[in-house]
Amino acid sequence: MTPLDLLVAAGQQVIDGVFLGLFYAIVASGLALIFGVMDIINFAHGDLIMISAYFTWLLSMTLNLDPLFSMLLTLPILFLIGLGIQKGLINPVLGKEPLIQIAVTVGLGFVLQNIALGYFKAEPKGYPAPLFSGGFSLGPFVIYESKLVSAVVSLVVLILLSRFLAKTKLGLAMRAVTDDRASAMLMGINVGRVYLLTFAIGMVLIGVAAGLWMEMGQVTPYLGTSFSLVSWVAVALAGLGSIQGLIISAIIIGVAQSLGSLISPSIQMAVVYLIFFFILWFKPRGLFARR
Amino acid sequence: MASKRSRVPLIIAIIVVIAVVAAGLGYYYYTSKPSPAPTTPTTPKIEKVVIGIVQPLTGNYAIFGQEAVNAAKLVVDIINNELGGVRSLGGAKLDIVVEDAGTSPESARLATEKLISEYHVPIIYGAYISRFTLAMGTVTEQNKVILVTDALVDDLSQQGWMYFFRVAPKASSHGVSAVDFVLDEAKAHNVTIRTAVIINEDSIFGTTVSNGAHLELIKNGVEVLAHISYPYDITDMSPIVDQIKRLNPDIIIAIPYFSDGVLFAKTAKAAGLNPVFIAGAGACGFTDPDSIKAAGDAVLYYTNTYSYNPAKPTDWNQKLVNEFETRYGKMPTEAAGEMFYSIFTIYEALEKAGQMFPNDPLNPDNLRQAFLSLDLNESNSIAAQLYPTGRIKFAPNGDNLYAGTAVLQVQLINGTLTSVVVWPQPQAGVQAIFPRPGT
Repeated sequence: MTPLDLLVAAGQQVIDGVFLGLFYAIVASGLALIFGVMDIINFAHGDLIMISAYFTWLLSMTLNLDPLFSMLLTLPILFLIGLGIQKGLINPVLGKEPLIQIAVTVGLGFVLQNIALGYFKAEPKGYPAPLFSGGFSLGPFVIYESKLVSAVVSLVVLILLSRFLAKTKLGLAMRAVTDDRASAMLMGINVGRVYLLTFAIGMVLIGVAAGLWMEMGQVTPYLGTSFSLVSWVAVALAGLGSIQGLIISAIIIGVAQSLGSLISPSIQMAVVYLIFFFILWFKPRGLFARR
Repeated sequence: MASKRSRVPLIIAIIVVIAVVAAGLGYYYYTSKPSPAPTTPTTPKIEKVVIGIVQPLTGNYAIFGQEAVNAAKLVVDIINNELGGVRSLGGAKLDIVVEDAGTSPESARLATEKLISEYHVPIIYGAYISRFTLAMGTVTEQNKVILVTDALVDDLSQQGWMYFFRVAPKASSHGVSAVDFVLDEAKAHNVTIRTAVIINEDSIFGTTVSNGAHLELIKNGVEVLAHISYPYDITDMSPIVDQIKRLNPDIIIAIPYFSDGVLFAKTAKAAGLNPVFIAGAGACGFTDPDSIKAAGDAVLYYTNTYSYNPAKPTDWNQKLVNEFETRYGKMPTEAAGEMFYSIFTIYEALEKAGQMFPNDPLNPDNLRQAFLSLDLNESNSIAAQLYPTGRIKFAPNGDNLYAGTAVLQVQLINGTLTSVVVWPQPQAGVQAIFPRPGT
């Protein structure tokens, strides 16, 4: 391989990695929001993405709609499901021992996996002819349409989320609770309502991630594990409190993963974790932590 | 202290006396039993033979286990209700007890131990995943329980196990078959194959299949430009596809597990990757109905090697395919096919054991002898009618001496993506489409 070939190969992986990273940012955003505001690690995060992906697939196949459009139909349903989960499962364990919170969210994940396995079986389900299934050349590089679209949609949604948190009353309340729950309560913020809506909005973000994934790939009952791991790493790397930080951290992960696959696809996640450890060595609270 | 010491010889003396008396009584009882009068062998009366089945019913491999268990239920129903059970055992019915292999070798081992300790099964079938089966084999050997496996990794039959049998072709032969098929077709169509890229999921199974393919390519003078392994739960195939595109090989030999196959096909299509041929090996992904549903025309013209040929035109094979489709609404593929012929082989071994050892047919050594004495072909055996090569005879290491695979290809037939058998004998009215159109 000539140096030019190597440069082209690396350039291609950087492009793929940036697109992948932007997708990872939307995947991790729901976890970051819920963790940041409610101070609970949602171990069912990946499995909620998995079950949302099944919703998208089901609607796509039933209505013969591209996942990007059927995703829009799932979002209100997921918002309501989010309200239900928060009210029924999360709220009772908020402020309790971390072990109880972990047990509840891990348990929820297992339940979702088994529901998926029982109802949808273990076969991968995918939408066979997504709208953006092709690719095009840009100089020596290949651009995958589905990855490009998912990156653009992720970026737009995350910018909207950032504006929402910065400009709306609810967004400001969420940030206030994130920064100091006790002071927020003293200022008259209805923390219970903020929690309820935070989880529901988190579910909407999960629904967007699931819809984008169905444009690119397929879902099995165990899809959630991969997304859980990458979400935790992205949130930990970014630190709490910054959407921009989450985007940059997720891009670091995406690029590291893609470049790692140049060495060997079998060790691409090991490369991600090595970089993660290295960064946390110097910035243990994450790259962009506000608190 | 002194009195304690003085009691020791007394206790020893009492133990010795009890042991001598017990031995004497035992000897008297044993020698006083009337010896059985010599009789002609009679058909033993056994109500049922319980077969243990260990399959992955949860976790990433559940797709295979669920299909295998469905197939087992169908075959056992047929044996019990249509064939009248095992005739040489007085019409003994087959009963199956299913245990979940779970997601690790340890859980497969525990499932095996449970079947042996709770159900005292003489035969266990499992567990599709080779590393799970490796853990099971140590338990079945210790307990002298016959293990019939649908796991394909070559090493399993090289463990020196006495009670191990595998009807299905081993993993490396899948890789060899995939290469032989491509080179046969290339020769038939005057296409020269000079270079290849191999990609495989990095489990022991994928590695073994790909090594078989790699050696066969080298043997036939084809240069392997790259041999790329990846984790089966990979979520982004584009780096691999990009690399293959840069290398521009004549053919790609791919050994996916399932989901990764769909992802590869979709990504390759998006990247416009179109070599002379893309051949799968190892019976997972690309050509099965679920992969076709999930990937759509991205898998058009892909092939894969199978340990089972659903299109084999024997009466029993067509009957099982039809009944499976009626009962479960889908075509039987690898896991079901292996179960079909393996359970029928077990059935025929039980028949043989009843004939050879009427006084103790389920003794593990007698069962082993029965398995080793089988020489099945399509005229004398249902199992052989279901097997790709039509012959089943076990070597001392438990492998089938006549193992073989079939190659299926996804073709567009009457506007529908359909998987058809194209090699070694194409099914009626079908031939392999080679090379890929547009190359």
